[in-house]
Parts: sequence; C-alpha cells; structure tokens
Amino acid sequence: MLRYLRTRQAKLTPILLLSPALFTMLFVVALPLVFSLYTSLTPYRLIRPETIEIFIGLRNYVRLFSDPDFWEVFGRTILFLLIALNLEFLFGLGIALLINRITWGQRTLRTIMMFPMMFSPVLVGFQFKFIFNDNIGVLNNALQSLGITDQAIPWLVDRELAMFSIIFAEVWMSTSVFAILLLAGLFAMPRDPLEAAKVDGCNSWQVFRHITLPFIMPFAFIAMTIRSLDVARAFDIVTVMTGGGPAGRTELLWTLIARTGYENARMGQANAMAYISTILSIAFTYFFFTKLVAARRFMGGAE
Amino acid sequence: MFRLKGKAMLATALVPLLAMPGVAQDYGNFDGYTLRVKLIGGAQYEPLYSEISAWEEMTGATVEILSRQNHFELDREIKQDIAAGTLDWCVGSNHTSFAPQYGRIYVDLRDHISEDVLSDFVPRVLEHSTVDGRLVQLPRHSDVSNLFYIRSLYEDEANQQAFEAEYGYALTPPETWAQVADQANFFADPPDFYGTQYVGKDEAVVGRFYEMLVAEGGQLFNDDWEPTFNSEAGVRALDWFVDLYNSGAVPRGVPNYLWDDTGLGFASGSVALNLDWAGWSAFFNDPENSSVAGDVGLVRAPMGSAGVRTGWSGSHSFSITETCDNMEAAVSFVTFLTDHDRQMVEARNGLLPTRTQVWEDARAEFAADGRDFMVEVFDTYSASMAEDAFTPPLIPEWIEVSNVIWPRLQAAIVGDMTSQEALDAAAREASVIMEDAGYN
Repeated sequence: MLRYLRTRQAKLTPILLLSPALFTMLFVVALPLVFSLYTSLTPYRLIRPETIEIFIGLRNYVRLFSDPDFWEVFGRTILFLLIALNLEFLFGLGIALLINRITWGQRTLRTIMMFPMMFSPVLVGFQFKFIFNDNIGVLNNALQSLGITDQAIPWLVDRELAMFSIIFAEVWMSTSVFAILLLAGLFAMPRDPLEAAKVDGCNSWQVFRHITLPFIMPFAFIAMTIRSLDVARAFDIVTVMTGGGPAGRTELLWTLIARTGYENARMGQANAMAYISTILSIAFTYFFFTKLVAARRFMGGAE
Repeated sequence: MFRLKGKAMLATALVPLLAMPGVAQDYGNFDGYTLRVKLIGGAQYEPLYSEISAWEEMTGATVEILSRQNHFELDREIKQDIAAGTLDWCVGSNHTSFAPQYGRIYVDLRDHISEDVLSDFVPRVLEHSTVDGRLVQLPRHSDVSNLFYIRSLYEDEANQQAFEAEYGYALTPPETWAQVADQANFFADPPDFYGTQYVGKDEAVVGRFYEMLVAEGGQLFNDDWEPTFNSEAGVRALDWFVDLYNSGAVPRGVPNYLWDDTGLGFASGSVALNLDWAGWSAFFNDPENSSVAGDVGLVRAPMGSAGVRTGWSGSHSFSITETCDNMEAAVSFVTFLTDHDRQMVEARNGLLPTRTQVWEDARAEFAADGRDFMVEVFDTYSASMAEDAFTPPLIPEWIEVSNVIWPRLQAAIVGDMTSQEALDAAAREASVIMEDAGYN
C-alpha cells in the first residue's frame, strides 16, 4: 500500500511542479485565445458589450473571405514581411561580418549598432515621417539642394515609394536584431575549420560560402522566426507615417485590425481578421523552424 | 482723519476682492476624497492641468490622473473600459465628434449643474455638446478653422497686377473657395512654394470634405439617414481638393498630412494660404518658430458656391460618468476647470473659450497688452463660432462612417478613382454601416 502511494506520489510530483506553469499558460494564453475565437463568432462591439451574447456563426469569416480589399491587405502584408525580413537579414549579415573583423572599438560599435532598437516604434515613425515629408522634409530638401532633383518627391504618397519608405523605417529600426544574433553566431564559431580551409587554399568567398554561412544559418533562422512574430511592432510606424493610406496603399493587416477593432469598435470582426492573420504567423514560424532544423542537420549540430 | 483713511484703505482693498469672479465661487469640501480622472494629454492641453493643484487646495480632495493620452488613445481606453465594465473613474475628457459613441455612460449635466452656471456658456457650443437631448459634456475650448495668409504676397504690386491680368479681378484675401483655388494656383511654384494645403487623411480630411460639402449646398445624409454625399454638390466639393492636387498648387504629400504638417508647413513660409484653427496663431507669429512671423493675415473661412461659409467645428470638453462615486466632487472639478479664470489661462494660449464673458475679457487683455494680431484672431474666430460653426452628425456611427469615407477621398485625390466613383463607393459602404445600425 505504502509503495503504491509512493509510486503515485512520484507520478504526481512532475504534474504538481509543472502546475504553476500550466495554470499561467491556461490563463494568460489559452483563455484569451478561446475568448477571442468566440468573439470572432459574434458581432461583438466594444461600445455595446451586450452584443457578445449574439452568436452569428461564421458570418464574420464569410464576409472576410468574400472581401477583396481584405485579401489585398493580406497579400501586401506578406510582401512587406518578405521584403523587410530579407533586407534586414542581408544588412544584418553585412554589419555582423564587418564588426566581426575589426579588433579595435568593437564594443563601442556594437553599442552604437543597437541604438535604433532602443527607439520606440512611434518615435521612429515620427522621425521618418518628417524625413520623408515632401515639402519640409530633410530628404527632399537635401536632394533639391544637391541638384539631384527639382521635384518634390511624394515619398509617403506614391504607390511604390510609400511602401519603400515604410520598409526603410522598419529595416532601419530592426536590422540590428539580425546583426546582434548573427554576430553572436560568428563569435561562437570555432576557428579550426576556417584555418583548415585557408591551409587547403580556399579563397575568402569559398570560406564564407561553405563554412561561415552554413554555421550562422541556424542563428539567422532563429532571428527570422523572432522577427516574423515581432514585426507587428511596425504597426506604430505605419500608423504614424501613413495611417495605412493614401487610398489604402500602405494598409497592412495590423493597421486594418486596429482600426476595425478600436476606432470602429467592431471587435468581433477584428478578431476574425486576427485569426486569419494568425495562420500567416504559424506558416512563417513553421517554415523557419523547418529551415532551422535542416540547417542544423547540414552542419551536424542536430544529431 | 486716521479712521477715514483706514476706511478708505479697507474699501480699496475690497474692490479687487469683489471684482474677482473666482473668489466668490465655492467649490465645496471633499477632504480626503480621491477623484479619479482620465484626461487628454498634449502640449496645448497641459497648461490647464497645472491649475488642478489650486482645486485640490480649495476642496481638500486629491486628483488621481489615471490616463493622459491623445484623444485617439483615450478613446480606445474608454471603449475598453465600457467593454470590461471598469468605469471606475469619474471625469473624462471628451470631444464633440467622439461623444455620441459612448452611449449613456456619461450623466446629463443639466441634472447636476445649475442653469446660472450654464447660461454663462456660448449657447451654440452647449447645443453642440448635447447628444440625444442630454448635455453630456461641459465644453472646455472650441475649435473652428479660419484662413491664414501671407500678407506681403497680397501687398506686392507686381502680384496684384499679374493676378488681375490673369483672373480678371483684384487680388484681395479670398471670400470664396473658388477664389482660394485661383489664388493658390497663382501663387504656386512647386517644389519651392505652394498656394495652399489641406489635411489629407483620417477623420481630418472627412471633416474638411464635409464642411466643403455644406458650403456647396450638400449634406452627408438625408432625413432618413441615407448617405447623400455622392450628390453633385459632393462631387463639386471633392473636385476642389482633386483639382488643386492635380494642378500642383498643394504639396504632393497632402494625402498624408495631418494638423502638424499643415501648421508647420505654413510656419515654414512655403505656403500662401492655410485654413487652420486658432491654436496656431501665436506660433505663426512667433519669430522663434515661424518664418512668416509679423507677416500673417487672417480672414474668415471663405464661402462655397451655396453662399455658406465652411465651419466644421467641435469642442474639447469634460464628462462625468454615471458610475461616479462622488458626483458633487466631480461636478465641482469640471466646473472649476471650465470657470472664467481657467478659460482665461487657455485663451492666453490662443485656445477659443466657451464662455461668452471670456471672449470679451481675453480680447480686452490682448488689446491692453498691444497684441493686435491676437485681437484680430479673437474677433475673427468669435464671428465664425457664432455664425458659421456646425458639427458633424452627432451619431454614434460618425467615426466609423468617416473611416469608410477617407480612403475613398484619398483615392480620388491621388487619381485612383474619379470623384463620382469614389463618393459612390463611400456612400455604398456608409449605407451598410447605417443599415447595420438600424437606421433604415
């Protein structure tokens, strides 16, 4: 009997030890998710709390699936993610490689490199809004003073330039996340394979392509995964710089969801949009994790 | 002799005491009570809050400011409070355009504030603060726009001759929006100089379009609340914005402009005409901040083809929640923040008062100090507040309707749609919102 109780206690111990974490997950993650899933099946309006009791099934989703404007925004968000993340990776890689090579003042440079991360996205938005302002902005004034153009370039209005400006601000703010993680990868890299490659007569490009890059790719995919989830911080930048306009040219899922949920107070519909956009996040995360596993297997780290 | 002198001195000492309106007011005693409030934050709103400590000293109460954010953030927070049922605060900042959304969370102030106090406010502003027959806001300061211009451009003889030769009438500050368009095209020399500018996104551009629609003789909705802004008047109103954009008389970036952009643009000296609120007047005439200081003229907002002046207006205000646990303290607080002396504090910064007496007293103070431009500002703005001001429809759906209109207005301005197509599309979307809300 005593042995039975002891065995049972031993079996319960892990569950008991895990229970604080499980309860936290339940209340902080699972319940809000279930609640927002339920509200996406209602016409819930923030200013009329009683509407949460009206169940309308999938009507919010049906409306969204037949709304071409929503899918245009969905597609634009994917494009934004692809361009911004790839540019941040490329620039981050470049910065990390350069900083890795210098021997004097590296710590100072590392600190300076992190400055853009320290700004709040709202401040970054205002900063670039005034840089890109067509009339009193620094950029146009510089271009005109240097004689490069005699036009006022509408950076925040033109279809392509407006997206470019937003991506520029986003890349400026977040490239250092990639740079820091990739630099950590470079610091962790063993010297032996590099020296062996040099002894074997590899040139710099070959060393980079076949040794350095495969080694830091897992770090790159971790950075990609973090950034693909965290990139919604760009919401503040877009809101301040263009508000999703003009004429919806820079509308992204986050600005659309926030306007629908708060300004229009249609939280039910906004949550339906948010659930569809969650599919996007899951897809990106899954893709990067698959790539991460593959990259680790390639360099022999997984086994 | 000594006694007489003493009496004379006492009488002299009493004169200022009797003349001070603030001293006579009793704001009550709420010793130990903490009043919880949510206020709008921002540079132009803050000077008033430094007065709060005076109310705390007078009443013994403490004010706990739970929130101090811009109005859009505050609106979001209040909606969350409504949804979560956490309206555990008493006083909140409010605005004419936002107030109808909040349903019945705020008390009817006519039940709590005496008619004596309310009769000191400008009647039209109180009318604008009323939703469904209930006075849900005590107005703090008002907002309406008039037309600032660079005076030297109009005094220049070469400009006068060239303009008259081209347009067939004398170059004087404009009386109509058609004249604004002519003069804006005349002065424009992009990218160095522009004729005029306008705010081009969010509720701001809808407000500008709406006032132009009224000035052109149109309306947003008919009596059955069906959208009618896609009428001929609507197209004329929108064409005004589109034509100026196409001719290059306004900066190419206007579809992205908000109030800061237009204000700073005019202060930079690169724009001839600028429709704006009075809050900028001191800034425009300050040599530290503005390159047009000393050269700023002001006229009342021009008329549209229907002979009506544009006058989109709203007021910042204070409201008291139905759930407030100390109504007397809350009433005392909002009455204090909108009393004569407090409104003088705001008026000195160029904000438009909501009390009739403050209009006169502020103007007299500016005249005594030799601030002639501010006297002109108060004369112009008091005329437009009294005669031209009108609000957007005071319905809960206003913000949502404006959110479907502005992307379409932008689409017309940047050339993605014609004015008629854009307004038809916006009207269709607005119809769905109004139908969903049960109007028709």
